[in-house]
Amino acid sequence: MNIEFLPGGPAAVIENDERILVIADLHFGIEADLAAHGLHFRSRSETRLERVFHTIDEADPDRLVLLGDIKHSIPSLTWQEYHELPKILGALRDKIPLVVFPGNHDIGIERFLIAGEIHPGEGAVIDGVGYLHGHMYPAPDLAGHLLVIGHHHPQISLKDEVGCALQGPAYIRAEVDCERLGLKNRPDDPITRALFFPAFNEIAGYDITRIVNDPFSPISRCMKKDGAEIILADGTYIGPLRMIEDNESD
Amino acid sequence: MKAIEILDPRVQACVKKRGFTSLSEAQQQSIPLIHDRKNIILIAPTGTGKTESAMFPVFNGLLSLPAGGGFKAIYITPLRSLNRDILSRMEWWCSELGLRVGVRHGDTPMGERRKQALSPPDLLITTPETLQALFMGKVLRKHLKGIKYVIVDEIHELAGSKRGAQLAVALERLHVYAGDFQRIGLSATVGNPEDIATYFCGARPCTIVQVPVAKHLEIEVKYVGDDFKHQTEVLAKSLMRDGSTLVFVNTRVTAEALGHALFSRGDVEVHHGSLSKEVRIDAEERFKKGEIRTLICTSSMELGIDIGRVDHVIQFGSPREVARLVQRVGRAGHRLNTISRGTIFATGFDDLLESLVIAKRAKANSLERVVPHRNAADVLANQVAAIAVEYGEIEVARIQEIIERTSLFADRDTLLTDVCRQMEEHRLIRLDGSRIITTGRARRYLASNLSMIHDERKVPIFDMVTRRTVGTLDESFVVGWVHTGAVFITKGQLWRVLEIADGKLTVEPAKKATGELPSWEGEQIPVPYSVAREAGAMRRTRAIEDYTGDKEGITFAGKFLIEMDKNRSLIPTDELITLENIDDGVVVNVCAGHKANEALGRVISILISARHGTVVGLELDAYRMLLRLPSAIRAADVRDVLLSLDPATMPGILRLALKRTALFKWKLVQIAKKFGAIDPDADYEKISIHRLLDFFDNTVVQAEAYRELLSEYMDIDTAAALVSLIREGKIQVALGPHSLIGAGGLLSSRDQIPPPTADAAVLATLKKRLDGDDILLACMNCRNWKSRTIVSRVADHPQCPKCGARLVAALKPYEEEQYAIVSREKKNTEERAVEQRLMRNANIVLSSGKKAVIALSARGVGPENASRILATLTDGDAFYREILKAERNFIQTHRYWT
Repeated sequence: MNIEFLPGGPAAVIENDERILVIADLHFGIEADLAAHGLHFRSRSETRLERVFHTIDEADPDRLVLLGDIKHSIPSLTWQEYHELPKILGALRDKIPLVVFPGNHDIGIERFLIAGEIHPGEGAVIDGVGYLHGHMYPAPDLAGHLLVIGHHHPQISLKDEVGCALQGPAYIRAEVDCERLGLKNRPDDPITRALFFPAFNEIAGYDITRIVNDPFSPISRCMKKDGAEIILADGTYIGPLRMIEDNESD
Repeated sequence: MKAIEILDPRVQACVKKRGFTSLSEAQQQSIPLIHDRKNIILIAPTGTGKTESAMFPVFNGLLSLPAGGGFKAIYITPLRSLNRDILSRMEWWCSELGLRVGVRHGDTPMGERRKQALSPPDLLITTPETLQALFMGKVLRKHLKGIKYVIVDEIHELAGSKRGAQLAVALERLHVYAGDFQRIGLSATVGNPEDIATYFCGARPCTIVQVPVAKHLEIEVKYVGDDFKHQTEVLAKSLMRDGSTLVFVNTRVTAEALGHALFSRGDVEVHHGSLSKEVRIDAEERFKKGEIRTLICTSSMELGIDIGRVDHVIQFGSPREVARLVQRVGRAGHRLNTISRGTIFATGFDDLLESLVIAKRAKANSLERVVPHRNAADVLANQVAAIAVEYGEIEVARIQEIIERTSLFADRDTLLTDVCRQMEEHRLIRLDGSRIITTGRARRYLASNLSMIHDERKVPIFDMVTRRTVGTLDESFVVGWVHTGAVFITKGQLWRVLEIADGKLTVEPAKKATGELPSWEGEQIPVPYSVAREAGAMRRTRAIEDYTGDKEGITFAGKFLIEMDKNRSLIPTDELITLENIDDGVVVNVCAGHKANEALGRVISILISARHGTVVGLELDAYRMLLRLPSAIRAADVRDVLLSLDPATMPGILRLALKRTALFKWKLVQIAKKFGAIDPDADYEKISIHRLLDFFDNTVVQAEAYRELLSEYMDIDTAAALVSLIREGKIQVALGPHSLIGAGGLLSSRDQIPPPTADAAVLATLKKRLDGDDILLACMNCRNWKSRTIVSRVADHPQCPKCGARLVAALKPYEEEQYAIVSREKKNTEERAVEQRLMRNANIVLSSGKKAVIALSARGVGPENASRILATLTDGDAFYREILKAERNFIQTHRYWT
């Protein structure tokens, strides 16, 4: 398996026999929710979609995996989503075959998808890699595969001697505790790791230290902190988690 | 009393009945002008009867108008407490003259408001913010039509602020209903009366009446030492004399501390903005009645609230500005034509010199200018929303007419349309061709945005360890800057942010002094450039006695400078900038005042941070800045940066430097709120507000943040002029040992300037990681020595202590078992391959030394990759970039993912 990082997303292409472009957490329609929380911005769906197109062009993939939370509003659809989603998904579908792993925000998304696009919430293996949104326990047969997940919106703050010098989206790669996750880990299976994707949505971001210290999903609760590693959106290897944690404790 | 003879006999009778035997100079001059329907600005010291100057002729006019028909005169003051004070003074006059007076501001009860709507008083006393509210209701708007007079009291307090800009627009909105009403502005002494007149009246004629203040002032400067206990003793002693004393201090903390120290005397009260209204009014009353003789107060007492007779004013610590000193001392001798006596208690070296300069300037009547805000986009947004609600829908061209009648929105043709477009972006108004249309949100917005004062939600800071609330931070600051792990200062202590949730900030005490940050506890009064320069000149000439007769002061300053000489310290002056190394970084002594230092400091910081790839911490005051730097960067490096500055490029650099700072984000959030983008009660958890703020790139919101910061918080033009002086050789720059002067002051302003690109931060993290990586050194010559260490401890050319060979392999800890294979007698093919790999590794270390060890410790870098990296022959950052590239390649491959 090879992986190509596309910092313009952030997104990545995972390649075994197929080139699969993975995009997590688009959160179309987030503006309506922001407004409900007192932040008023015009819909940025159009520019976000353009960015998706651009990423597809850059990646030239065989399929596009949308790793959940395509839309934002829960528990129901908003007016904005009713109007925007069919067009957005239609435009994507015209370009490339879609695979959707619904997330916790995707309630009601089925009505905008066609047969074969929607996959189980607990994930499935495609071309040797396990995909799921990441809010549920993974399907047991995902054991031994790399679990590629969204949901957590990891973002990193890099500090130097004097202060915080960089904030940006990042990936976390960590081994998971198969037993606690209910994965049937056969002795001959290699280690099971998870790769946490950053959100494609431009304002979703959650500090990695909070994801680790205050986990809010089965996989983040069952990840092994030791050996967890951080990679920037452009594939720059930042190093083990302690690299950023050291900063916190001194 | 001649001036009042032109007035209605009823007004004259009242004047006599009230016991006036003579008129002040201010009254003599202004009454005829106001009677003559002239717009005027009356500039006179407190206590010269300014209110009466305005109101006698206004009463006269009101008596000649028919009863009923809405408000006839509006009296605006900046404070509710002043409103109360004015009301109690007006009530007597109005009842004598058969006029009706009312007050309306935030505290006015609903019943009273309703009464005013049904039958409006002739004279309405109000604040700028409540004036805004009058335009919102149909009934009240009707009552605006008959307004003939608008009096703005303490106009100098408003003219330089966004509140004042908002008021200027409101007056033109009023003009739409009432036509040309007469404008009467009352002001304390300012450096630029003409600008205040233009601010108030726009292009209309306006007469300036000025009563000089300086000849009534008597100001002494007394050095009281730098020990607080001694200072309070001196203060206590000077309170022994007869009469009443106002003691002005610069911070609430000092007010509290002095109050505590003098409490046992029983004749002292404290008065500042954090105390409740009741406590303050009680203190004012008791002082007025003579029950207490001393009131310790902050700027809360500067404005003309009537507190009776003040015999003496003491300013504790430098007043920082000439205008402030004049105004404060002006509170003494609250009788016409008596002299105001004031004493400044100077508390240190900078403080003494600064106080002497300011006292001298006060006597020379050279006061600071009040500069109105021009083209403030957030004020415009606020007023567009207000106008939208007022009219429902309106042509943009009509709004343009309204704002153009003020003097504040000129020569920016597209500003209004830019602002309208941005507001539509945030759905505060709708645009329909050339018209704007109100929205349901606009009214709600207005209800919480009547004021341009950022009356913000305070976020409580909760200490996890002691489980108590230790203070509060401005919400805009929390939103714009604070993130998990951030370290900041409040209450003089360092805190690290653990969590921002449920509207509170959970923190723990932080130990290390690096990374400390923005303290945002109250905005400091900046010391002007001219004052700081003159204080610098005093250090050079040492002519202290030209300024004062105070022996203690002369002796102290003289001794201080001699001590500097003895230590062979260089004395920074107006003609000499010195740089000193200290443990945390470098002190740069520049006598240029807060705003110029703020600009200069930030420009230097961003250049250093770009050059060295580090965050630079910046703290400064009027005479020095402390750059917190990694230990490798020293005074000579900072000097080189300072000497390389080009005045022409400084503004551009400063804008770049600001973009990612806490200060900028704080300001951006405040302005975004005025554009309706962010509600006052917005909830920011779970989203990355930092990236949300990027939405404002290249918008009018961002432009306004720059405009305000570059005009209000820092002065880049002056900083550039200072750099020109350096280039012309008129200011020298020298390195010196850490000195008494360099060690003084500070802490009045802090921020961090991050490097302009992420690259530097990433490289710094990489270096730190590699330095700390475990590495196994293993001799490939004797094959009988291995040692585990970390990269930073490895020698430049590692050597085997057993055999002395330099053929040492640098292995990752998990490769340890491979070394065991090497010493085996018999090896299979696979094992021989391992041996070869290790030999190759050792050969690279032999030829390239520690550089090879560093490369080999990187993730996924074996001998092949290491030789490729070393073959680039790069050094420093370029070398580390090669390592990053190799790691990035590795991360993309199968080996990393399985």
